[in-house]
Amino acid sequence: MSQSPKGHKEVMTGAKALVTLLEDRGVEVIFGYPGGANLPIYDELRNSSIQHILVRHEQGSVHMAEGYAKVKGRPGVCLATSGPGVTNLVTGLADALLDSIPVVALTGQIPRGMIGTDAFQEVDAFNITMPVTKHNELVKKESELVKAVDAAFYIANSGRKGPVLLDLPKDLLDEPYPYDLSETCSLPGYNPTTKGNIGQIKKALKAIEKAERPLLLVGAGVESAGAMSEINALIRKLQIPVVRTLMATGVLSFDDPLYLGMIGTHGNGLANRLVNKEADLILIAGAKLSNRSLLRADLFGKDAKLIQLDIDPAEIGKTIEIDIPIVGDVKETLRDMLLRIEDKPIRVGVTPWIHGEHQKTKTMLPKADAAEVMEWVCQELSKIDLKMHVTTDVGRHQMWANHHMTNPKHLPLITSGGLGTMGFGLPAAIGAWFADPQSPVVNLTGDGSFMMNMQEFIVAVEHHVPLTVIVFNDFRLGMIKELQDSSYGKRHIAHDFNKEVDFPLLAKAMGGEGRLVVRREEIAEALFEAIHSRRPNLICFDLERIHLRSAINLAEKAS
Amino acid sequence: MKSKIEGRHVIALEVEDKPGVLTRISALFSRRGFNVESLTVGHTHQPGVSRFTIVVVGAEAELEQVRKQTQKLINVLKTFHVLDQEEASDLELTQGGAKNVQHAVMRELALVKVHYDKESARQINHIVERFSARMLHWSGEDLVLEFSGTEAKVDAVFEELKQVTVLESVRTGKVAMSIETK
Repeated sequence: MSQSPKGHKEVMTGAKALVTLLEDRGVEVIFGYPGGANLPIYDELRNSSIQHILVRHEQGSVHMAEGYAKVKGRPGVCLATSGPGVTNLVTGLADALLDSIPVVALTGQIPRGMIGTDAFQEVDAFNITMPVTKHNELVKKESELVKAVDAAFYIANSGRKGPVLLDLPKDLLDEPYPYDLSETCSLPGYNPTTKGNIGQIKKALKAIEKAERPLLLVGAGVESAGAMSEINALIRKLQIPVVRTLMATGVLSFDDPLYLGMIGTHGNGLANRLVNKEADLILIAGAKLSNRSLLRADLFGKDAKLIQLDIDPAEIGKTIEIDIPIVGDVKETLRDMLLRIEDKPIRVGVTPWIHGEHQKTKTMLPKADAAEVMEWVCQELSKIDLKMHVTTDVGRHQMWANHHMTNPKHLPLITSGGLGTMGFGLPAAIGAWFADPQSPVVNLTGDGSFMMNMQEFIVAVEHHVPLTVIVFNDFRLGMIKELQDSSYGKRHIAHDFNKEVDFPLLAKAMGGEGRLVVRREEIAEALFEAIHSRRPNLICFDLERIHLRSAINLAEKAS
Repeated sequence: MKSKIEGRHVIALEVEDKPGVLTRISALFSRRGFNVESLTVGHTHQPGVSRFTIVVVGAEAELEQVRKQTQKLINVLKTFHVLDQEEASDLELTQGGAKNVQHAVMRELALVKVHYDKESARQINHIVERFSARMLHWSGEDLVLEFSGTEAKVDAVFEELKQVTVLESVRTGKVAMSIETK
């Protein structure tokens, strides 16, 4: 990867070596925040081709790196200082770990001689971030720096992707040393299996051929492996009906007759019935089957043959026992499957088992307070026929977006599934734009989530990001209220925001546009205007007032 | 279906000798709810490679998950779920099917400091002879003995030692080496 001649040593500071290595790897942008311990890196970034984006809180920097990585398909890079800098990264790193997003996090550390003395802004970054990263390292010797950087990028973006953190002592960054930038890492303990076992593939195909009611369950691993066209080829070839997890929007167009919805706690009844009862074979591709995907773990595929395809051997049979495991890269394995079918066609589609009743019920979803307003907004948004990157936060709006965002040009949604991080959506949208500046970005959020990281709106204004933040304002933590309604006998506490926030004014205070929408008739126009302005915008949809007014309008029309 | 019953299991790991590798491994075991009963670690004949033998209590189904998670650590080279040759016959019924289970011989070392005088001499000499102990140090009053053998043997040593005055003792926990079984 490095452009430096092999074996050539050149005296330079650790910071200079680091920044040169990042440039050599094609890093275009770093999302970061300076502090005492990482200033040597900043000093080098002044003369670098790499663009630095100054975030307003370190958590924003990881989510931006995640959004960037999701769109770009290679690691996003973030940079923080020691102490509070690194502790502020923790939530974002955990988010990237649970959703398998490649991120390289660089943190400054206090000088080596002071480590362990409770010096100013010292925390044990290595041990704090160990359980929230795929791998991390405290670089203690100059001779390890080049290899550590090489390893960080390789580990983050191979196998099951994830975040890697390098903790870099300030004195190592400051001092000159004869670096050989052509060095590469050697990782004898890290050999991700990429090629699926051909015997298992044959077994799987045989089972699929025998099945009467086969079903394909698609998870986020398919997109992460870049296997969207392969999975589509397989679906067409086998004419196999498809369900998906929350994280795998965009695998099939929602009106495709083979598409039957989302499984899990927030999924639709039909999809859950198919996996729990009706299918006699489920091919699971790139899905980790966590508790939120399994509405009833005891029923999932109980009488079905289960085939699981995953890059991570530890995912096979973790929550559900599997009959035919295939460990391998989803893209390569699907290709091998397709080749095998080419070679030896299998008998499929003899008894199409999905019928009209299934088609009719696939759009049936539970109803909830004022939620139809979110539905209307998502439907109007889906009519805007532009390529856009759409992020969500966490809460009710996330689930509504997941069911009602239907335009393939807006999918897959960028959302926080594993960790469920409120405040993910706004910085992730900004990061996504840096990866694809041609396309506008939209963040669907709630009033609760928006307030978790709203300071990053200023970053969008500063860099003229064509961002539209859509705040679904219900003046409360709507999903918490739902849970207190359903599980705690409607005993309510701590879900109401007793003070109303003027969100449009907040956006204006930060230099953007802001608009409050209280009428249903305004929804389409407000969205169209905001997105086409290509400026940082916030639209606040007052769910209660829109809901109330449209009910009154209906009543008036009827009378 | 793998057993959900809690049992004692031995995991052997070959790891790269890197800072923090012990923390990574012990953190994983505790996160998955495994109680580490003993853990030994030391160098091997290969430079830069260390070997862990970990005795844990937990359910077998979860043990396989923890073994896979451990294998995912970048600095871990190999993982084995090993079965004590002596306990194998009891456990084979439940574990015979698992692919990564290997038979192994296992040994444990113990150092014991006993008070040695005229009254206890006969009893201590008897223990030394019966368990082939080595005498490592003699101060005139205290005697340091080394025992090694299977866990059952070291257990028996400690049972016998109840009859004399033990001043200090330490057990290493098991070390394991896989073997071919025919």
